[in-house]
Amino acid sequence: MASPRRIGENRPVPTRRSLLAGVVALGAPAVAGCSRVATASTTKGGDLLDRLRAQGVVRLGIAGEIPFGYIDRNGDLTGEAPELAKAVFKRLGVRRVQPVPTEFGSLIPGLNSQQFDVVAAGMYVNPDRCEQVIFADPDYRMLDSFIVRKGNPKGLHTYQDVVAKKARFATGTGYAEIQYAVEAGYRESDILVVPDQVAGLNAVEAGRADVFAGTALTTREVVKKSRKAEATKGFAPLVGGKPHVDGGAFAFRPAETRLRDAFNVELRKLKRSGELFRILRPFGFTEAEMTELTAKELCGG
Amino acid sequence: MTWDWSAVTDFLPLLRQGLVVTLEALALGSLISFGLGLVWALLMRTPTRWVRWPVGAVTEFVRDTPLLVQLFFLFYVLPEWGLTLSALTTGVLGIGLHYSTYTMQVYRAGIEAVPAGQWEAATALSLPPGRTWRAVILPQAIRRVVPALGNYVIAMLKDTPMLMVITVLEMLGEARLFSQQHFRFTEPLTVIGVAFILISYLASLLLRALERRLVR
Repeated sequence: MASPRRIGENRPVPTRRSLLAGVVALGAPAVAGCSRVATASTTKGGDLLDRLRAQGVVRLGIAGEIPFGYIDRNGDLTGEAPELAKAVFKRLGVRRVQPVPTEFGSLIPGLNSQQFDVVAAGMYVNPDRCEQVIFADPDYRMLDSFIVRKGNPKGLHTYQDVVAKKARFATGTGYAEIQYAVEAGYRESDILVVPDQVAGLNAVEAGRADVFAGTALTTREVVKKSRKAEATKGFAPLVGGKPHVDGGAFAFRPAETRLRDAFNVELRKLKRSGELFRILRPFGFTEAEMTELTAKELCGG
Repeated sequence: MTWDWSAVTDFLPLLRQGLVVTLEALALGSLISFGLGLVWALLMRTPTRWVRWPVGAVTEFVRDTPLLVQLFFLFYVLPEWGLTLSALTTGVLGIGLHYSTYTMQVYRAGIEAVPAGQWEAATALSLPPGRTWRAVILPQAIRRVVPALGNYVIAMLKDTPMLMVITVLEMLGEARLFSQQHFRFTEPLTVIGVAFILISYLASLLLRALERRLVR
């Protein structure tokens, strides 16, 4: 890599040409830097697991969403997905996990641009996302639910209610719930897209929206602190006219199939031994949310 | 990295919506900041310190805190105190208020640059204070500061993407929404980058034309 210091060699007489050369010299490492970022595996199936073992640390993309993946009051990484990641990666021979917090909508782009190695945010597996990343088998299944004002004055329980009662609908950036609302007939451009569930709660409390849609667990957790809002009972959104149960899973870059497969093997062992439920239970998960669904089923055709 | 023209055509309807919002925010933000800035500048010239000190403290506070923090505050904290404004209104007010504390200084410079002789002449003609300001001082002061105010229009344009954080879907907001749905980043971001250059350049041409008119 060209040293940035090279610009100093021309110091005594900074003619226009030498300055130009300096700019080029500065630019060179930047370009070199770009090519270095793209360390996507080229071998078949990827060698990421070997590299992670050698480094002893795996970077997890998290979205700051309680209870899926967040930094707790002591500044420690916790949540359903990070705790599960710690357990699985320990078995895979990677000792440490390092959180990379970002917005939910930036998780897949961040993964594909190498900012972290795995998405550990309890991300729903759906066909759109399956085109961008590969998923491990889901570690939980989940219904949707709404945050509404106390007493649910508009009587909103499903996406159909939202459309029929012309309620103002909000959800999070990049959430699967956008698609469910559109499927029910809500105009996409009318959706209020907020950064996360806390902003969503705020929008409902402040009256900017009548309803915020998220996973049943997210909404249940976030309204605990609220006196003005409540969460509705979980329900299965209709996709193609049929009730659809979602499953959340870890996401990997498409080239890293070996890491994904190794992850799946350990995950299956945890499921069978009941260890998975023990890890997830402190975060509000129940037996009903354990699942045998596979990523393949959820990715669809 | 590949360039996909179909992503550009898919993005265009969203771009149009975002463009309208960006221009709305810019136009209203400019009006508020130019109006409010003049009010601040005039209030700072009142003889009593009971006006000058509070105005000075408030404007200094606004000028010394980041616009982003102010937007968050206006959008997320004010509703807790019972004042809920729409996202765009919050954004326009935030950006207008923030920039008014800059334009206030611009107006001050303009007013102080009016030669003392003009004040003396107004006094000699025993013009009332209101008339002195309207007919003598401000026309000369404002003419001097149009180029500097134009700068702030362009700076404001480039700060409108901050409104994205309070859910205003201006150009950058639309681009991000599109990117996150279609996982295409290069095209929408490039398109809005070009749009920003075009708008900035057009705005600077307009302002230069305005300057020329005012100098005549």
